[in-house]
Amino acid sequence: MYYIHAISSISHQQTFDLEFIHNDLQKLTPESPLLVPEFIDILPPTALRRLSAILKISLTTALKCLNESAFDGIVVGTGLGCLQDTEKFLVTINNTTSDVLSPTAFIQSTHNTIGGQISLFLKNHAYNMTHTQNALSFEISLLDGITLLNEGKNNILVGAADEKIPFLELLNEDLIKTDYPFTSIATFFNLKKEKSDRNVLVKDVLVLANSKKDINEVILRFLEKNQCDPTNLTKVYHSDLEISLSTEKVNYLDFTGYNYAASALAFHIGVSELSEIPGTILIVNSLVKKDLGLILIERC
Amino acid sequence: MSELKEQLKAQIIEQLNLENLTPADIKNDMPLFGEELGLDSIDALEFIVLLEQNYGLKITNPSEGKDIFFSVDSLAAFIEKNKA
Repeated sequence: MYYIHAISSISHQQTFDLEFIHNDLQKLTPESPLLVPEFIDILPPTALRRLSAILKISLTTALKCLNESAFDGIVVGTGLGCLQDTEKFLVTINNTTSDVLSPTAFIQSTHNTIGGQISLFLKNHAYNMTHTQNALSFEISLLDGITLLNEGKNNILVGAADEKIPFLELLNEDLIKTDYPFTSIATFFNLKKEKSDRNVLVKDVLVLANSKKDINEVILRFLEKNQCDPTNLTKVYHSDLEISLSTEKVNYLDFTGYNYAASALAFHIGVSELSEIPGTILIVNSLVKKDLGLILIERC
Repeated sequence: MSELKEQLKAQIIEQLNLENLTPADIKNDMPLFGEELGLDSIDALEFIVLLEQNYGLKITNPSEGKDIFFSVDSLAAFIEKNKA
């Protein structure tokens, strides 16, 4: 079994530093701000002046998941990576007449900067992996974390992060076409084989990429494989989908906004709910059509 | 020379994103890589960019960097000595 220990999120909801985050969720609007803690109390001066927003929120939430022993692995999922630094670097290339470029934005523009900064900050030399699979990056990272536990490791940091920049609004007109507000999200948690006080576990994860299969049929087979009667599901969190189950259904995009790490925040919401009341929750992520991620979490 | 030093301080603050500092906080002889400013090797790369973009100067011998970037005084002296 794969148990969730410490978990932390920074988002446009009140999610940071709260034991239970599911009770005070608000439907987001384009004006909903990113709710960040006082970074000056958490991060060193060099990080404060150099790190972009996605790096600050990722590092801060990862630090909340620290325990007494070093992580055996750091696994990060990000669909679009460090957009702010990527944009800054590309704009500099376009505008500069010099043959030298500022190194900071370049260094921090790659997707694996998030995992790298966490590793550097913690002086952690263990397995460090970044998965970038659009909106399925979190589910793939979770699968990687589970694989590490199955290989004998036992203290894995798993998380996902993506950030919004104004340029996404321009893309929305022709490419993305969503009515949900763009957001920034970082969710990190500690995955172990040992039970935690909250006793919430990841029962199974399924990822289907570029699939033509019917989502509802896949869900039923997934539940059947896990010997979970659909009528016993406490709740289904989904990314604005037509789910045929009669269980209570919640469109998590109302609370997460449009973000490739949205299912990671939905996962945190589900973990929070189960930490208070036992049950089984299914998270269905098909934010990018034809891609499907299913996560079944449970507290007995 | 003093005008150049004030200009350098403003450029350092902007290039290194030292938002909480003003030029008055950086003394001319203060070691830039000491504990007070907390600069590191990435900032040294930023100094190389600053010199080339703003003054057209290249550090041809990397071993000289430590002396050139020691303080605002040494940076200004290097610029004065090498300007066209």
